[in-house]
Amino acid sequence: MTNLEIGIASFPALLVLIFLRVPIGLAMFIVGYAGLYLVTGSSGMALARLKSSAYSTFASYSLSIVPMFLLMGYFATLGGMSQAIFRAAAAFIGHRRGGIGMAAVASCAGFGAICGSSLATAATMGRVALPELRRFGYAGGISTAALAAGGTLGILIPPSVVLVIYAILAEQNIAKLFLAAIVPGILAAIGYMLAISVYVRLHPDRAGTAARVGWPERLRLLTGVWPVLAVFIAVVGGIYGGIFTPTEGAAVGALGTGLIAYFSGGLTGRTLMEAFASTGKSTAMIFFIVFGAAFYNGFLALTQVPQELSTWVVTQGLSPLMVLVVILLIYLALGCVMDSLSMILLTVPIFFPVMMSLDFGMTPEHVAIWFGILVLIVVEVGLITPPVGMNLFIINAMDRGTPMSQTYRAVLYFVASDIIRVALLVLFPAITLFLIP
Amino acid sequence: QEVTLRLHQFLPAQANVPVQVLDVWADNVERDSGGRIKVERYASMALGGTPPELMDQVIDGIADVIWTVNGYTPGRFPRSEVFELPFMVSDARAASSALWQMYTEHMADTDFAEVKMLAMWVHGPGMFHTNSPVSRPLDLQGMKIRGGSRGVNDLLALTGAEAIGMPISGVPEGLSRGVLDGATMPWEVTTALRVSELVENHTEFEGPALYTLTFSLAMNPDVYAALPDDLKTVIDQNSGHDFSVFAGGTQADADGPARQLALDRGNTIVTVSEADAQEWTGLVSPLYAAWVADMEGRGIDGQALIDQAQQLMADYTPQ
Amino acid sequence: MVQQLHRLIYALAYGVAIIGGIVLSALILMICASIMGRTGATLLHSDLIGGAFPDTAARLLGLGIGAVKGDYELLESGMAFAVFAFLGLCQITSGHATVDVLTDRLPDRARRLLQMGIEIAFAAALVLIAVQLHDGLQTQMRRGSVTFLLQYPVWWSYAAAFVPAVFAAAVAVWMALVRTAEGLLGRPLIDPATGAHL
Ligand code: NA
Ligand code: NA
Repeated sequence: MTNLEIGIASFPALLVLIFLRVPIGLAMFIVGYAGLYLVTGSSGMALARLKSSAYSTFASYSLSIVPMFLLMGYFATLGGMSQAIFRAAAAFIGHRRGGIGMAAVASCAGFGAICGSSLATAATMGRVALPELRRFGYAGGISTAALAAGGTLGILIPPSVVLVIYAILAEQNIAKLFLAAIVPGILAAIGYMLAISVYVRLHPDRAGTAARVGWPERLRLLTGVWPVLAVFIAVVGGIYGGIFTPTEGAAVGALGTGLIAYFSGGLTGRTLMEAFASTGKSTAMIFFIVFGAAFYNGFLALTQVPQELSTWVVTQGLSPLMVLVVILLIYLALGCVMDSLSMILLTVPIFFPVMMSLDFGMTPEHVAIWFGILVLIVVEVGLITPPVGMNLFIINAMDRGTPMSQTYRAVLYFVASDIIRVALLVLFPAITLFLIP
Repeated sequence: QEVTLRLHQFLPAQANVPVQVLDVWADNVERDSGGRIKVERYASMALGGTPPELMDQVIDGIADVIWTVNGYTPGRFPRSEVFELPFMVSDARAASSALWQMYTEHMADTDFAEVKMLAMWVHGPGMFHTNSPVSRPLDLQGMKIRGGSRGVNDLLALTGAEAIGMPISGVPEGLSRGVLDGATMPWEVTTALRVSELVENHTEFEGPALYTLTFSLAMNPDVYAALPDDLKTVIDQNSGHDFSVFAGGTQADADGPARQLALDRGNTIVTVSEADAQEWTGLVSPLYAAWVADMEGRGIDGQALIDQAQQLMADYTPQ
Repeated sequence: MVQQLHRLIYALAYGVAIIGGIVLSALILMICASIMGRTGATLLHSDLIGGAFPDTAARLLGLGIGAVKGDYELLESGMAFAVFAFLGLCQITSGHATVDVLTDRLPDRARRLLQMGIEIAFAAALVLIAVQLHDGLQTQMRRGSVTFLLQYPVWWSYAAAFVPAVFAAAVAVWMALVRTAEGLLGRPLIDPATGAHL
């Protein structure tokens, strides 16, 4: 076999391992190791890389943003911020048709502004909003689907762990990517609310409404949201206002939410340990995937697959837009079975050079940012597409009475709104880029 | 084609050094070997790892040839640090020539014993790029500066500036967010990092430059030894002293267009005359003494290295 | 017996992860201190504050108000330790990301054997990583590199990371042993790991 053939053969090998339930980071490590062995004829190179690769992957200034944003999300929950957001949102729009569902989506967006992870947002807001949705007569399917979809706002609205990983892989500015994600993130929230309103019009029996809340009460509840606003402004404002780097912003956010949680009484020795343990588990999982992907990608580069692929695509004479659409479709397909982080780590090193070799009539930086946001959205869609959607699983597991099939059916409304949004962003890059100087 | 050499380095493929120096080397080797050697070029750390790991990668055979900044691993190549001392180097060609000669005399069997060195050179004059003008050491007080080398960081400490230890890739973001007030680098690097758009002041020194970094283009010795004699000759003829001087000179020449770019933007360029530089060079004598003492602790005659480097640079005659 | 040992190892893994969390918190505090020091120093040097109260400003600056020296390198060294410290808990709670679509339909026995193979491979990988990290540690000791600003030896960071790396490998070996026994006996020996990761 030539090196190129070994590289190409590594994809099916990887997929087989992944489908055999081998943890994704481990699968990439095993295939990368075996691949290096086949290409070089000995395990010398793989062993030599291991002397420093695990250490240097973990000792990363940019990646250290990940555990800090995770910890920030846990502290925010301990500080009661998730409840406060939902109560305020429900007071404002809960009396409308589909209003409680929309309030759930809006509070996911609000929580997403201080949480960097989709699954954490889905799980947190699920805990808060699911009982309320059921209390106001929402059917199981639409309740779970709305929260699973709302959870993806955790990543689409900055700060976003997945966007950090993309920025590192594509060597792009994290702050600019965060900025570019804001409008598409808000569009996503609006799209999900529209999906709910369409759903409740088609199925009026599956959603109830809450009583109208008076303005004094609304304003009182709104004041409960100030810690969230303060942390968001401190973190995001500090990053754009030129006070600190994104990593430093994550540290400020973690400390800020930690203090709020402490003074609200939510942070005790016991809950702090739980926050450490949960953050630690997620951090180890993410970093091990990053490690496996870095190892695999080093092997893949050696086989020249990424270079050959981008050369091949360019010589096919396909229109750049066509190539982009094909790549996004591949992501949607992969997303039916894989989680977003693994997909990004696996595919960006391959597709990014392809994208950068095509002429979209934009600066390379704009192409990189635009592509990053599109990829971010399609991999997040993967979290709510059947059969494997991590958000669907998490929320469905919280609502034992609702069969998965109901969740699957209801979530299609949200997937449809996602696809419309992706089409808009592909056709009008300015939606993503107009904030970027 | 008989031999494939994997050339691994940390800059993007289209940056100055890869295009103007490394590709030239690789193309020459491929041509002179009559196509029997192919050089596969891996830019931006494509084979994995971080820039400080490059030297170990070539020793361990992860890459066959690497290009790296020796200062990425401070303390590991003590003898090469003589060219990194502040206000040591005036001309990149003279310094690259001197560095190669001192490599063959002092470093081939010591600091770099584990590699087959192909070329060593320095970049053009390292200098300040800051958001407020700097002409005297006092101006730096309280400024947050990303220093380009350990020597510069020590100098910054003496001026009352804050040395910020972020990686070079973080400089544009640091400057635009006010995390940094300035950074040190040669002109050539400012284009890729868009530094002239982020700060408006640049401080050059007449005579010896604020600092330089030394580079290594190194090959795995076993890979070299395994080559047939005629291909060894191809490698040898494209490496060594003359290529080192070419590389240092080419990199320094790339400073010109970058400087013009800053002038075109209307930026201020402060040029510290050799007389005014006394105030700066006076500061660094304790640094030289500290470095010599550090070398003594390692059993190295640092003063002799300084003297020899200065002598060789003074004796250099352009060809 | 197996249950008790498992509970002990779980408690250890939890404890090591808490130590990782404490290190992470310390890093967060250090960064915040660095931001405050940096901002404070800039204000004290500014015309507005430093100019109005020059003596106070000079005295405060003399006390060393400023960014934490070497904050970047400390963060990187600390993170490597923390991540390795988290790895053991992730291992014992089966916290790694997997794709379950196909295997969910397998019969129990096949699933157990598959799980056995995976845990053995994972243990082998983590042992290999620890062994090679030790090799890298020795290389770093020989090379004598130091960090940029604080100029402490790079091998210190490797050594700090090596300790939890060995622990994570040990936990992985334990899990491999448990899953092997389960695979051969055909019944569960420990409570199935719980806790969805986020
Ligand atoms: Na977010
Ligand atoms: Na999916």
